Amino acid sequence: MITTSRIVFRPVVPDDYVRLYEIESDPATALTWRYRGQLPPIAEYEAALWRQTQQIMVVEGRDTGTIVGYLQLHDTDLRSGTASFSLYSGPDHRGSGLVMEGLMAFCEWAFGNWPIRWLYAHSFEHNVSAFESGLRRGEAMRLGVLRERMVVEGELTDVHVVGIEREAWLASPLRRRFNQLRARQR
Amino acid sequence: MSSTEQPTEVRWRLASPADLPFVYRLVTEVDPRWYRFSRHGLEPSSMIALMGSIAGGAIVHDSNGQPVACALLADSSESGTGHLEYYALPTPHAERCAALAAPDLLGAVFAASTPRRLYVERFENDPQLLGDAAHLFTPEVVLPDFLLIDGTYEDRTTLVLTADVWWPWHETRSEVES
Repeated sequence: MITTSRIVFRPVVPDDYVRLYEIESDPATALTWRYRGQLPPIAEYEAALWRQTQQIMVVEGRDTGTIVGYLQLHDTDLRSGTASFSLYSGPDHRGSGLVMEGLMAFCEWAFGNWPIRWLYAHSFEHNVSAFESGLRRGEAMRLGVLRERMVVEGELTDVHVVGIEREAWLASPLRRRFNQLRARQR
Repeated sequence: MSSTEQPTEVRWRLASPADLPFVYRLVTEVDPRWYRFSRHGLEPSSMIALMGSIAGGAIVHDSNGQPVACALLADSSESGTGHLEYYALPTPHAERCAALAAPDLLGAVFAASTPRRLYVERFENDPQLLGDAAHLFTPEVVLPDFLLIDGTYEDRTTLVLTADVWWPWHETRSEVES
């Protein structure tokens, strides 16, 4: 678990599934995420949620105790020392910065607990702005763009491949600031 | 045929379950370059199960009828994309045969499954097996230092061939050959 002044970052428990399902059901984004509009019924959700997934960490807002988003570590490949992650933000908390703070906690947790050199994320064109500040500062790298890779709501869309390298994260000023803020909570 | 002699005739045919021993041998000989199969090691039963999920495949033979390479089409999706996996035994002869067969195999893929975009992934020191068609592929993603191979980290690149690029080239090539 990682705690800051604004969030608690912790492993998911089964009691959280209903909230995660609610986040993934948001019509504004349901078509663009993993299930692309075909979210399974809640009775089948647990198996679908954990498919190819090693761990799920939720981000709770400390002021409300509500899960504001979650991050998923998936397709972990120990031979190459790489893994992928997905980031989900509740519709009523987008823009608050809470889930992006959760992403910092996720990097700290993943690189501190898994033998991973690189974390990759695949982002649709219309979601990639979430990574722009990290790309600008250099904690994340744009590794390429798969042009017209997917069809979303009948339209072809690009998929951006973003990478976060372990050494770049460990050396980043952002990580230093994040851990200074964490230390003040102790 | 000597190792420097250029093969003039290669043939390919659709793969069948009887080819699994050859494909397994090929994976082991190029390990870990055929990464779809090598990533979890070479335990045969899990690899065979993984091979069962492949959409279709072809075996390339040299002029003596010996299998030298294998092409598989994977991850065909409703969004009109697919991944071509193409590997040859690690000998100059097999690699030359594979390169010679590549344009015909690509033609078969585009004719049979009509992908909008066909992806190939390769490590930086993989042999070039796409022959005359290699220049049609455009890199889209590079994963730096992706995998340790014989003591050196190699990048892994995703390249794409679009139908818009393939068909004009294929038609021109067919006209020249006829």
